[in-house]
Amino acid sequence: MKYTTFNQQNVNQLDEPMFFGNPVNVARYDQQKHSIFEKLIEKQISFFWRPEEVDVTRDRVDFQKLTEPEKHIFISNLKYQTLLDSVQGRSPNIAFLPIISLPELETWVETWSFFETIHSRSYTHILRNLFTDPSSIFEDIVVNDEIKRRATDISKYYDDLIYATQLWQTQGEGMYTNEGQPYPVNMRELKKKLYLCMNSVNALEAIRFYVSFACTFAFAERELMEGNSKIIRLIARDENLHLTSTQHILNLWAKGKDDPEMAEIAQECADEAKEIFMKAVEQEKQWAEYLFQHGSMIGLNKEILCQYVEYIANQRMAVIGMGQPYDVTSNPLPWMNNYLISDNVQVAPQESEISSYLVGQIDSAVSEDDFADFEL
Amino acid sequence: MTDRDNTYRIDIVDTVTVTASPDKTLLESLESQQIDVQYHCREGFCGACRTTLLEGEVEYTTDPLAFIDDDEILPCCCKPTNHLKIKLGF
Repeated sequence: MKYTTFNQQNVNQLDEPMFFGNPVNVARYDQQKHSIFEKLIEKQISFFWRPEEVDVTRDRVDFQKLTEPEKHIFISNLKYQTLLDSVQGRSPNIAFLPIISLPELETWVETWSFFETIHSRSYTHILRNLFTDPSSIFEDIVVNDEIKRRATDISKYYDDLIYATQLWQTQGEGMYTNEGQPYPVNMRELKKKLYLCMNSVNALEAIRFYVSFACTFAFAERELMEGNSKIIRLIARDENLHLTSTQHILNLWAKGKDDPEMAEIAQECADEAKEIFMKAVEQEKQWAEYLFQHGSMIGLNKEILCQYVEYIANQRMAVIGMGQPYDVTSNPLPWMNNYLISDNVQVAPQESEISSYLVGQIDSAVSEDDFADFEL
Repeated sequence: MTDRDNTYRIDIVDTVTVTASPDKTLLESLESQQIDVQYHCREGFCGACRTTLLEGEVEYTTDPLAFIDDDEILPCCCKPTNHLKIKLGF
């Protein structure tokens, strides 16, 4: 089906599925099929921040004091996160927008991706402060084997879905061959690709950031690189919200509250989806090994970090009905919670005085006493 | 429905029975009695504190955004409105 930027057919958006229905026409939010996405948009917008608001100048001094293994840990994590946010800053837009059928979901995806671009900008902000010329760091991201291996797994499902969607939207259903590779294109195949892609994104948001978050906060526990840690806290808060959205999408499908065919596919592909998640967990654990190959840092080692990944994985897999396959019942890094509390994220002083502070808020409550000293 | 001292009874399956006051979130009440509950955001959007509600009712202080099943609650942003029976972990 050909994509149109403004579908002139009159469609009832409340009857559309999240994906692969009619293209969206009017961007209206007065009625929502799935109100959760509208709420997520509002929450995400209320989180708006800019990297320049965070002062990272002290980090440069701290960085010089780090040992060589610690520098390796710090810089490698930044590289990995740069890769993750480079992918997430564009892929949800390119992969999901052409096939979304609900205005609230369309806007959520755009809002989500926009925040990932803020994250990417903050890595430049951090690196520019640490190095006079950060080029070599950025250039290594596409050369470094450890990072490349992860990039393949992260982008694979997106690329599959994007290519199949392009074939479908330009040529319709059918069997295609490109460079000797067969590409069967039909609705069932497309939806399967979408399901696997969403699972891969969910695993990314759920697991892939957490080894580097733990390292960043472990530095902060020692009062090192605190500017960086403030930025990462803001990023962690956003990522948590993004994760909530993919969990909702997967559960809406699985529980038959959206497209009934997606509920069938969720059952059919359950094992494959679980495998995607567990592979992400394994890769994160291997990442921990790579980080600590030259030596550990105070307060963290490979074993405890791997346990933390498994602990987080148990929780996140349980939410989407994948059970709790790992044998970790208590949180091995309890201090992590202090950094993941939304309240502890530094905000503008006026915001911390009133928790419900809104920009441009108008006080419309007027009592008679307000006119007490008013004379005509 | 409240007891004399204006608190609600919270039965935690397989562990203990504690009390919760209606002016604190359930998470704060549990923590004040040394019950370990996992949490992250404490604002209802991450879902880390997801808990199964077996009996009783709660009222939300903020709209929970995280995914919760029909029989689950988010202790970080709700208060009990009567006696509860809950199961920690999931």
